Amino acid sequence: MGDLEYVGKRVLRKDGPDKVTGRAMYTVDMQLRGMLTGAILRSPYPHARILHMDVSRARALPGVKAVITAQDTLGIKHGFVETPRYPADQSPLAVNKVCFAGEEVAAVAAIDPYVAEEALDLIRVDYELLPAVFDPEEAMQPGAPEIHPTHPKVEGPFKNIGGKTASGWGNIEDGFAQSDLVRKDRFESHLRTHGYLEPQATVASLEPDGKLNIWTSSQGPFIKRAKLAATLGLPFSSVRVQKAYVGGAFGGKIDLFSHEFCAALLSMKSGRPVKIVASREEIFSAYRHGQPLIVEVKTGVKKDGTLIAQEFRVINNSGAFRGSGVVVIFLAWGFAMLPYRVPHFKYEGYSVFTNNPIRTPQRGHGAPQLRFAVESQLDMIAGELGLDPVEIRLKNARDPNEQLPNGDNVHNCGLKECIRMAAEHTGFLGKWGKKGASPANGRMRRGIGIGVSAYFGGSLIYPNSSSVVVKMNDDGSVTMLTGAMEIGQGAETILSQIVAEELKIPVEEIQVIAADTETTPVDIGSWISGNAYVSGNATRVAAGEVRKKLLDLASESLEADPADLILKDKRISVAGSPDRGFTYRELVRTSIQKRRGDPIMGEGHWRTMRDEPVHPSLATAKGRWSENYAFDAQTAEVEVDTETGQVRLLRAVTAHDCGFPINPLLVEGQIDGQISMALGHAFFEEILMEDGKTLNPNWLDYRMPTIHNVAPSEHLDVITEEYKVGQPYRTKEVGEGYVSAILGAIANAIYDAVGVRLFSTPFTPEKILRGLGKIK
Amino acid sequence: MHLPKFTYLNPTSMEEAVAFLKEHPNAGLMAGGTDILPRMKNRLDVPEVLVGLQGIPWEVPSVRPDGSLAINPLMTLDAVNRAPLIRERAPVLSDAALMVASSEIRNMGTLGGNLCQQTRCLYYNQRHSFQFMEPCYKRDGDRCYFIPKGRKCWAVFMSDTAPGLISLSTEIRVVGLEKMRTIPLEELYTGDAKKPFALDPDEMVSEIIVPEAPGSRGEAFFKFSLRGGVEFAALNVAAVLDMKEDRKTCAQARITVGALSSSPRRALKGEAALVEQELSRDLFFEVADIVAKEITPIPHHGFSAAYLTECLRVGTMRVLESATERIRRKK
Amino acid sequence: METKKQKLLLELSINDESYELAVGPQETLVEVLRNHLGLTGAKEGCDTGECGSCTVLIDGKPVLSCLTLALNCQNKKIVTIEGLGKEGAMTIVQNAFLEKGAVQCGFCTPGMVLATTALLEEMPAPSDRETKKALEGHLCRCTGYNKILEAVGLAVARSSGGSAGT
Repeated sequence: MGDLEYVGKRVLRKDGPDKVTGRAMYTVDMQLRGMLTGAILRSPYPHARILHMDVSRARALPGVKAVITAQDTLGIKHGFVETPRYPADQSPLAVNKVCFAGEEVAAVAAIDPYVAEEALDLIRVDYELLPAVFDPEEAMQPGAPEIHPTHPKVEGPFKNIGGKTASGWGNIEDGFAQSDLVRKDRFESHLRTHGYLEPQATVASLEPDGKLNIWTSSQGPFIKRAKLAATLGLPFSSVRVQKAYVGGAFGGKIDLFSHEFCAALLSMKSGRPVKIVASREEIFSAYRHGQPLIVEVKTGVKKDGTLIAQEFRVINNSGAFRGSGVVVIFLAWGFAMLPYRVPHFKYEGYSVFTNNPIRTPQRGHGAPQLRFAVESQLDMIAGELGLDPVEIRLKNARDPNEQLPNGDNVHNCGLKECIRMAAEHTGFLGKWGKKGASPANGRMRRGIGIGVSAYFGGSLIYPNSSSVVVKMNDDGSVTMLTGAMEIGQGAETILSQIVAEELKIPVEEIQVIAADTETTPVDIGSWISGNAYVSGNATRVAAGEVRKKLLDLASESLEADPADLILKDKRISVAGSPDRGFTYRELVRTSIQKRRGDPIMGEGHWRTMRDEPVHPSLATAKGRWSENYAFDAQTAEVEVDTETGQVRLLRAVTAHDCGFPINPLLVEGQIDGQISMALGHAFFEEILMEDGKTLNPNWLDYRMPTIHNVAPSEHLDVITEEYKVGQPYRTKEVGEGYVSAILGAIANAIYDAVGVRLFSTPFTPEKILRGLGKIK
Repeated sequence: MHLPKFTYLNPTSMEEAVAFLKEHPNAGLMAGGTDILPRMKNRLDVPEVLVGLQGIPWEVPSVRPDGSLAINPLMTLDAVNRAPLIRERAPVLSDAALMVASSEIRNMGTLGGNLCQQTRCLYYNQRHSFQFMEPCYKRDGDRCYFIPKGRKCWAVFMSDTAPGLISLSTEIRVVGLEKMRTIPLEELYTGDAKKPFALDPDEMVSEIIVPEAPGSRGEAFFKFSLRGGVEFAALNVAAVLDMKEDRKTCAQARITVGALSSSPRRALKGEAALVEQELSRDLFFEVADIVAKEITPIPHHGFSAAYLTECLRVGTMRVLESATERIRRKK
Repeated sequence: METKKQKLLLELSINDESYELAVGPQETLVEVLRNHLGLTGAKEGCDTGECGSCTVLIDGKPVLSCLTLALNCQNKKIVTIEGLGKEGAMTIVQNAFLEKGAVQCGFCTPGMVLATTALLEEMPAPSDRETKKALEGHLCRCTGYNKILEAVGLAVARSSGGSAGT
């Protein structure tokens, strides 16, 4: 890619040495003088009125420094979504009733964990049980117990609707009438969870001057600050959320959590720092899991495979409060309409309250569930028409610069090429449809499948933009200030690479100050897939300003045209006359002398869709959503043991139009990790719940892939743009897009291997054996 | 997650250990700690006194005058897997020891601890600070969450080493204060999920004795788990086939199944169908069918009874085939 | 030897340094490392022995410090992640993890590195199965394990002829 020195290279991550030596400090590792242990009392009932709470005995226990209930709060609510249509609906501590088993009702801060445990036992709560409902379709029924009133703008007899998304274009009935083949199927995606290794943890310390210092394991400090400040009734300037390393998040650490609020309030009440660390069992049973979705899809096609009409009904089990449920039903619409062209389209999505812990985004946020459904059905349709899975997808895949129904444009979409590359690289058509031919032992059957997906990079939801400051130091090295949050994906490294490229300074000489609401500018956060695109461009602009200032000074001092100057090794010289030049150090000094003391700083801002004032409507999907779409095709080759029903993923290939990779080593790591997560989704992981309680709240029984389950993962890059110094770029996200198509590919591969079509995840051995008729 | 407070007693011999157990009948007994410490963190055990066995030295396995193999139960599972004498004389135990949990746990956990691990159930192995708070039968309460109308505990016994040892007709020495008895390992297990071991409060296992193989023998172990490592078994099966002089006909068969019940279960009908028979794949097919009908699994940890039954059929086939392969290879 | 519920005075050897500590019988080694000594490299991903992130080496063997009572650690040589490498230089294993991109969030990394170090000390050229058996108790949610296996391979290649622990 041109003559780039840093962008596009396999630069080793900047925080690597800290992590392999154990020096990296995570929130769980923090110790402050006088720090108290905080602990939370949780509701044992999924739905109950709180009649009476008595904390007096806990308060009186020696060693207890503070006890709080809802009465000690300002009564200000918060939520993942806070808009006029969907106002905040969660209280950090339950007020009149509890809506899920595990809901937070009180918190204590004590001198050690033993006293904290004893204090919780001394809190007495009297509950009056209320009827509860756990299944979303049951909860929707008119006769269901009411958890919260149905949203006032949702018409119809349904109960417990947190929100609805309805959208469409064309004429759906005409579309089906024109179709040669119509089929309707129902797919269910189950409850899974993030499985981040670092527990949820927060350290809060109220300083004597009134500043509330917070360290918390999160995906971005700015949204935390905003919600903490609001619920605590403090101005933003009184709340500082600072960086600590984060041991994984995957969508589970975005918005405000009760323990964060409690740690802060307990610190304010006790006057001492308070640390709350959730136990693994609490995380599995009371914290936020991913969004289970029911997807009913009816599709009409022409006999040549062209999609004509598609109608969706999606039901989300959002848990006891809205959480991100109203977002996932919007996103599911997006993930349905993106990859294929569908002239007649109708979508209806419901986010339903149930008496379960609140659900939240999990990597892909609706895409895995949606693509599993659509890709499975498309293969079934192809089968009925006598078409192969590759040709039917090529027929319908979007082209570059295609306009989308919502007004967005796909710009540099490389989907067709991804499909072709994946098919060619794997010899797909030579392997597919062989009725599971396998080597040697007759009990194993092999199959291959393909799936397609799309994702977006950066959208408008608070905080809506990123800003970066790049400043020169006297010696010509550089410090950058960014609000970007490193959660393991390499955010700080890739931003450093961009600065390095713009200024031709080695990555090691760029110091990064990050994720501190006090000192670093606002950042979009690491949960909207906007790091590379939004934060990256902001960085580029900031570094570009520094670059321009350096060039201007050099051009003046050297009496040369900026176009004739070269930046290299922290020095600017005239092309062809290398001894005519100045070091950055000299230029900084010159700037201070000649430019009224300006030590050379640059600031850069970026926002996706700069011309759009607001985000799209979650309810109607009207409005521009993103200007940065990524597409991919993934294949899966599986081997099914027809005796035990176990399936092994032999090979996964990801062909993705990544724009260009800023750091190929990090991109590979993201792809590998997502294949692993999809593997878990497909075969092993399931949160088992019964009446609102979690049966398997531990690592042994929530079965994430281990090293025994590593899947060979290959990737093919479809490069659709290149990085040019000084130019905006649109490179695609790589952190969330690759957990989805692979799921459809696996389902299709299993069908190819053993002729068993699965309509729900996970694809357990039992389901496969039932499909094979080995279990009745 | 912190442990509850306790007094720790650190005996340096088994005699001292049982004396402590006699003095403190409600004491917890800790060998490697990999079973009892997680239980204590979940407050399933909150002993005032914990008797630790890590200060008691143990010797490597040895062959006794009668040809049997003596194994100290305090051996770590890793040591069991590596011991040449065990590999030579009881390979089904070597194999099983390698399948337990993770390498770190195998470095800590002991064979005795694995044989004496508590029974498990999803509803039980939790902290109960806000879920399933009313105690179930196993927690000395009055209900079962798994079978709501049930009158007993349905927790399952999941040891990976027990099935192989039982199939080897292993005996154990049990010592208490001024008493000692030798029993078949099988008799250690009561079948009662609530109180799974036939041990007095002051008793512990002091020696594991594997009788010498009478002649030509094949043995194999199969552990089925969803991910193929780390976790407890969905089910495990161990088969030991002792052959007649012709090495084709089975003289004695012992098939033991684990994780499907509250104690390891012998598949007696399946065994009987092998005795006096010439081994063949077709025979194994029949036997697997018999075993699958003979043992009704307790569904557990997310696996249904129907699925476990099918796995039992497949697992039985596989161990019988592997055991036969071992006989063949010894030729 | 009888010990009461009160604290005990222990002498522990950690990373070739000797520490004298007052510790309750119920304190696990991971708690002592993290809370008493500021050695926070050993992590508590679950505290019940199911994730491997608390792994340390005791007399060269990887064990779970969350299930190890501190009072059972006397007269033993304990090595934590902080004890690898000398004078700022990282070991072959640590460098291999870095170079292969086997580190993302880093939470599982200390445990993985220590287990790998112990593995290569014992067998300089482990098979794929032996490597997986050694690391099976270490959960990683970020990398999918692909690059971790590559890092082990690189460490093996670089160690041939030398000890992986230096």
